[in-house]
Amino acid sequence: MGARARSSGIGLRSQHHAEFLKRRPAVGWVEVHSENYFARGGMQRKVLAEVRAHYPLSLHGVGLSIGSTDPLNRNHLAELLRLERDFDPVLVSEHLAWGSIDGRFMNDLLPLPYNEEALHHMAARVRSVQDVLGRQILIENVSSYLEFNDSSMAEWEFLVALVAEAGCALLLDLNNLHVNALNHGFDPYVYLHHLPPAAVREIHVAGHGRARVGACELLIDTHAAPVCNTVWRLYGAALERFGAVPTLIEWDAELPALDVLLGEARKIDELNEARCADAA
Amino acid sequence: MLRELQHRFAAALFADDHEMLGAELRGNGGEARARLDIYRLQLHAVFVRTLAREFPVIERLVGGEYFRHLGREFQTAHPSRAGDLQHIGAPFAAFLRQRFAGGAYDYLPDVAALEWAVQECMIAPEAVAFAPHALRSVAPDDYAQLHFEFHPACRLVSSRYPTLPIWRANQSASAATPIIDLASGATRALVQRSAEGVAFHLLSAPEHALLAKIAQDFCLGAALEAAQQCEAAFDLGPALRRLLALHALTAFRLRRKSCAGIA
Repeated sequence: MGARARSSGIGLRSQHHAEFLKRRPAVGWVEVHSENYFARGGMQRKVLAEVRAHYPLSLHGVGLSIGSTDPLNRNHLAELLRLERDFDPVLVSEHLAWGSIDGRFMNDLLPLPYNEEALHHMAARVRSVQDVLGRQILIENVSSYLEFNDSSMAEWEFLVALVAEAGCALLLDLNNLHVNALNHGFDPYVYLHHLPPAAVREIHVAGHGRARVGACELLIDTHAAPVCNTVWRLYGAALERFGAVPTLIEWDAELPALDVLLGEARKIDELNEARCADAA
Repeated sequence: MLRELQHRFAAALFADDHEMLGAELRGNGGEARARLDIYRLQLHAVFVRTLAREFPVIERLVGGEYFRHLGREFQTAHPSRAGDLQHIGAPFAAFLRQRFAGGAYDYLPDVAALEWAVQECMIAPEAVAFAPHALRSVAPDDYAQLHFEFHPACRLVSSRYPTLPIWRANQSASAATPIIDLASGATRALVQRSAEGVAFHLLSAPEHALLAKIAQDFCLGAALEAAQQCEAAFDLGPALRRLLALHALTAFRLRRKSCAGIA
């Protein structure tokens, strides 16, 4: 990715803007939430321009509601296109999710049923977005807390079929994979094994929390904690299968000091270096 | 089928009615409902957290718990209409006005309007003010027909309450907030994005009247008339020079016919 050899990137949040630009730490790339930079002017855009001058950038959308059955939000897409043209990102990603209906937005990443109807709908929408942007986008697997009776395939089967039908790539969130594996009872390594290596262009790692729901305990995708050992082990397996894919530390709530994020990013680079050493 | 499922899902979240979706979910009824609750809590938490970021002074004035209560009512009345949350606060001042106008908290909607003006200035497009000498190209007889474009990162605020002192007193993280007498004076100000954040330029009543007309695209003659209704001896020259010095105007044009119509 870009001229830098490091695989690690961090999700840059506004609380770290000033310190990040002052220190310009050794991370390979930076990811931002696209919608946070839709404003036409002001400090956010100035910061992003300065960040972009020094780092490869990834635009990660959280609000396009790409899986909704409402018409595709053309205003949102136009803003995304403008941002993409202005900042020339290396990667553009969105989620395997929906978040609006009848023009009312829930501003969340809500799960889809995994069946043929949802697959063809999602694939058509991804193709439309790619047509507007003139580039391939990455679709991220989301964490979820419930499943639909209507689902007829596993999440990984849906993703594999989506890649084939829409021509998109994948952003594999290993924390979401771990959360879903425990919440819904499947083997995350089987999931990894079924994803086509060439399709996975970016990986996310993040932290999660726990909540008791009735008789069972669910994992909640909070992005408010360090990456747990189980997710690091999944990352090791992902490195074996997908190679040195750009990997992001994602931390959105209860944001720690920048050094904590950078420490997590260093783990990514160390794991990548260890893998290269083993391979040599 | 998918659209129907999404309708039911949204209704179950907004209406707090598990039965609307129960049959669609895997697992036993009680647990499926509890799982749906995770999304319902998130729906409100994200909205109210964003609202609190846009209106930190209102949150501080009414307290966190009551703000969350207000935020949920506001979300029911004015749900998000975009995937980008930065516009959800636009109707908040009007919502508070409906609720509090005429009562002991009559000042809250005006404080909210000030906070929203600050928000709008912070995200407005960049623009360049025109050089004052450019006005030399306009014949003095035509000045009354001039229309100006307001800088997009400028907003006017006015209130019969001291909303700016209230706003300033609630910027510090300190728990100690000075008592402000609500009868201590009106607020009229030009809010403008600056390198440090926002700047407030206090305006006299006629200056505010002048700017309010200019911002609504009235011609300068009509704006001056409004100012002079506030203060018969109002002098346009210093007020206009001040506006130009503040870089609050980005363009001007002559529009004789429409000017007469608007005025």
